Amino acid sequence: MILKLKLVMFPLIAIVAGVLAGCESVEAWERGTLAKPEMAIVSDSLEAALNDHIYFSKEASNGGHSATGGGCGCN
Amino acid sequence: MAMSCSTLLFAAEVGESALDLSLPLIVNQAQNAETVSLSDHQGKIIYLDFWASWCPPCLVSMPIMNEMRNRLQSQGLPFEVIAVNVDSDVEDGMDFLLDKPVDFIVLTDPQGETPARYKIKGMPTSFLISAAGVIEMKHEGFKQSDAAMIEKEILRLSELSQ
Repeated sequence: MILKLKLVMFPLIAIVAGVLAGCESVEAWERGTLAKPEMAIVSDSLEAALNDHIYFSKEASNGGHSATGGGCGCN
Repeated sequence: MAMSCSTLLFAAEVGESALDLSLPLIVNQAQNAETVSLSDHQGKIIYLDFWASWCPPCLVSMPIMNEMRNRLQSQGLPFEVIAVNVDSDVEDGMDFLLDKPVDFIVLTDPQGETPARYKIKGMPTSFLISAAGVIEMKHEGFKQSDAAMIEKEILRLSELSQ
């Protein structure tokens, strides 16, 4: 029974540890790569603005779609 | 690297003594880079600005602060702007400055040690430090309309220190 539990727990712990290792916070001054245009989910700025407008008007949701601007929340 | 106790306790909030920093000038990155410290400008009101070339509001602030710095200095105010570029590739910051040069001191910290010590949460973040070395204002983000408020605060500090 204990052996079975160990067999189940070991891979489970390994998976959880692996997933948590992928959690990495990006500091404000480290966002240079994220701010590059090619990192945008939608690279066409006109299309992105159109999508934003649709989300904003239909779902009242806005923001969180891009790292451009440095995340200062001032624009 | 071991951090000193004062660094660990420093929260970079208004009312605290500004932590000293010593960084190379961005223009002299290559070799024998001349370093500048906050303490070199003790007795002046300092606008300490953390900026990057990929941050649009940062770029808005640069010419505005340059004009303000030159104007206030010409009026005899003991005021200096010290900008810390945090681009991981120093060339990016230099490219911007070649295009739009500024007269104030621009330092470089590609490793991001000083923004970490100053607990920066967003770009740009600036600190207005009094002649006594105390943080009097912390400002996140930058809009053109912020300049008047910053200048008002600089003038207030100048009157207080006289």
